[in-house]
Amino acid sequence: MRPNILVSVALLVAVVAFGYFLSPDLGSFGITIMSGLFQGMLLFLVASGLSIIFGLMDVLNFAQGAYFMVGAYVSYSVHHSPDVMAAIPDPNIRFFLSVISAVAVGAILGGLLERFLLRPLYARPVFQIVLTFGVAIVMTEAVKFIWSTNPYSWTVLFSLRDQSFQLFGQSFGVYRLVVIGIGFALIILIGLLLQRTRIGIIIRAGVEDREMVEALGINVRMVFTLVFTIGCAVASFGGAIAAPFLGASAGLANLFLLSAIAVVVLGGMGSYAGTAMGSLLLGLALSVMQVFAGKPQIGLPVLASMTPMMLMILVLLVRPGGLFGKGR
Amino acid sequence: MASSEAILEVKDIHTFIGQFHILEGVSVSLPRGSIGVLLGRNGAGKTTTLRTIMGITPPRSGEVRFEGQRLNSMRSFSVARMGIGYVPEHRAIFKGLTVRENLHIAERRSGDFTRKADLIFDLFPDLKRLVHLPGGNLSGGQQQMLAIARALVPDNRLLLIDEPSEGLAPVIIEQLMHAIRRLSEQTTVLLVEQNFRMASQLADRYTIIDEGQSAVAGDMRDLVKDQALIQRYLGVA
Amino acid sequence: MLRRTLASNWFYVVLMIALIVLPHAIGWVSGDSPFGVRGRPVGQSIYWQGILIEVFVLAVLAMSYNLVFGFTGVISFGHALFFGVGGYILGIVLEYTDLTGEVGLLIGIGLTLIVSAVLGLVIGLVTLRLRGVYFAMFTLAVAEMFYIFFSRLALTRAEDGFALTELPVWIDPTRSRLTFYYIALALLAVTFLFIRRLIFSPTGAVLLAVRENEERARTIGFDTLRFKLLAITVAGMIASLAGLIQVILNKKVGPEVLNVSNTIDPLLMTIIGGAGTFTGPVIGAAGLHLGDRLLRDLVIEVGGASIDIGANWALILGIVFILVVLVFPYGIVGTFRRWRTRQAK
Repeated sequence: MRPNILVSVALLVAVVAFGYFLSPDLGSFGITIMSGLFQGMLLFLVASGLSIIFGLMDVLNFAQGAYFMVGAYVSYSVHHSPDVMAAIPDPNIRFFLSVISAVAVGAILGGLLERFLLRPLYARPVFQIVLTFGVAIVMTEAVKFIWSTNPYSWTVLFSLRDQSFQLFGQSFGVYRLVVIGIGFALIILIGLLLQRTRIGIIIRAGVEDREMVEALGINVRMVFTLVFTIGCAVASFGGAIAAPFLGASAGLANLFLLSAIAVVVLGGMGSYAGTAMGSLLLGLALSVMQVFAGKPQIGLPVLASMTPMMLMILVLLVRPGGLFGKGR
Repeated sequence: MASSEAILEVKDIHTFIGQFHILEGVSVSLPRGSIGVLLGRNGAGKTTTLRTIMGITPPRSGEVRFEGQRLNSMRSFSVARMGIGYVPEHRAIFKGLTVRENLHIAERRSGDFTRKADLIFDLFPDLKRLVHLPGGNLSGGQQQMLAIARALVPDNRLLLIDEPSEGLAPVIIEQLMHAIRRLSEQTTVLLVEQNFRMASQLADRYTIIDEGQSAVAGDMRDLVKDQALIQRYLGVA
Repeated sequence: MLRRTLASNWFYVVLMIALIVLPHAIGWVSGDSPFGVRGRPVGQSIYWQGILIEVFVLAVLAMSYNLVFGFTGVISFGHALFFGVGGYILGIVLEYTDLTGEVGLLIGIGLTLIVSAVLGLVIGLVTLRLRGVYFAMFTLAVAEMFYIFFSRLALTRAEDGFALTELPVWIDPTRSRLTFYYIALALLAVTFLFIRRLIFSPTGAVLLAVRENEERARTIGFDTLRFKLLAITVAGMIASLAGLIQVILNKKVGPEVLNVSNTIDPLLMTIIGGAGTFTGPVIGAAGLHLGDRLLRDLVIEVGGASIDIGANWALILGIVFILVVLVFPYGIVGTFRRWRTRQAK
């Protein structure tokens, strides 16, 4: 095994072992792990776009978290809209439709952002960073304008969301398992897309050397637009499937952005395998830290919310290239 | 007259990189089917000339014509699609992609690679057993062969090759010369080459670039005889 | 010498005199004393002094941001950290130590400057060697971490924050608002002059060279890391002073001083006003903050729909910001200056 994979697996084992050590019984250990995988998958959905976009176009999209937030709002609204409820009474089918709408909105907004706001700025990279930051502000404020500043919590339930099963004396939500399954499927699917398809080969080549890809006769800017569109659609998808748990609120934008940035730094900017591994690691670490920090002997719940930032700072100090990166 | 038979016609191009005026009037004319070479000292502007033709560093004034078509304001992917292959300095192969992927990505129409595979592996038999290796694992000579092979995948009518012999052993250089000579039977080639021996054996036409300007051009056979000219611009004997 | 300096900067001199006279002028026009009415901090003059102090605070903050972003070309998304640190340290010194009054204030200011300088140095040392985008991410993360930490820290009463009660009377904005107004104005003027002096110095020339092309500045032989560190440290110290004035004005310290809005505000103000210009951040700060205050209750009708300007101020600002980045990247001052040089030709 290559050293970076070895280190990653060792870290993964260490986190899981620490979680086991903290748990009084198998049931609560299972809950911790499942919650960690769940968070890891949501993180992956934001971080994967962030990482590939950065690797290919050198743009750190500070608006990526805002797409997650928009996905959550769209999915919430479609699912709870009286008109849609009347048209599609079955909540499971309606939820499916909500997710698709969210993906579509994320894709359209993402494509527009790249095509009309970022493309004029490729000669001025400093302003690109500032611009995506500005777009994040505008999206957050636009969401407050459309949906008001109050957070929504998911009220109209559906069977998929509420089923659970018993194991080791604890009850596990089916929906979380479904999200974890979808997450793993997407990790593999996007990985295959990058490994096997022509567009994937172009993306990987573009991460190495954009100029040469272009000199081979490939219109790199069209690839940029495509990748940006897909990246934002995936983030939006994340928000949509997270909404039944997290609801919809403007705070989602920043919450996931910072953790996703931490994942990307941890995995190595531009590395897909690193992002997948980093998401899992941080998700599990978050979950374990929530248990640890909540222990009465520790009593510092704030530790858990600070985990992503602390981890990112640590990685930048020790190995700025991240687990799978080349450094710098 | 000359332009009707020239496949590539570069007229008095001026190129800036940032505020720096790199090319201050370069003209190159290349007849179809020939091998041309750009000669000159380090930093004279040979590489920039190739990059300007490719549209990577577009010219501020002057004209680049390929088969009569103006290329000046085209982005480099459109230039490539006109039928121009580019083998840059330091080869620029994709190190994380396998040899096969490196070749596949160069397809302009699907099936290009399958169609050309025989020709490519005939020219560079070494590559055939390396197809599954990542480009980064190849030796310098193998990477150079791959870079040239990549430019052969689509039907290019002009190849721009920048310093193919750089840092390679004499045996490998011999192989490369053989390959370039063979592929020039089908396409026109414009080389940048510091190795004067290699350049003089390969090329039909030369253009000397000095301090950003094209100084002398002509038939390679005449240059080989003109020691004074060689001494003046190239400082080699 | 002095006369020439005054003559070539007549605009700033006039503006300064206007700002010194303004509280009295408002007092004279409105009939409300600039010292408050019957010993209480009320009246038009006092009200406008408060708003202008906020403008001064934001202008100082934006100027410090501009030193990093506009003049050195480094993007920080964690400026709120320095602003908030200034507030919290003064608050903690006055509230949780036996130091009160002038001594507490002085020690608070001293500690603020030291801590913000150390923070700037440490953050810079860790990330400035890396590509610019790492600095942006790192500062965002550190600032957010401090924000979360202080919003949960029991010692500083978490979300609620705590009041500053042990301020000396002469600086207390409820009792001596006008004095405090002049203190804030002085900070603005000193910051402005200091940054101008710095940028026109040889050090400033290197900062500009780093912004234009760091690689080249390095090949010429400058240790660019040291110059970037200097810019970030100095900017951090200035921002912490702005934070200090802010908490004295509010007489309250809470996690809101560390909120990301204290990064967003100076960023928007700097870019809209004109990054890399001296007056741009000040104009940006004044324009945006006064705009916010004046338009807060404005509701306009567009095609039958009424839009509440005040409630959507941040949205409007964000859109303006994006347009400025795309169309007028030199901001108000920079675009105006370019237009004038073109006219002169």
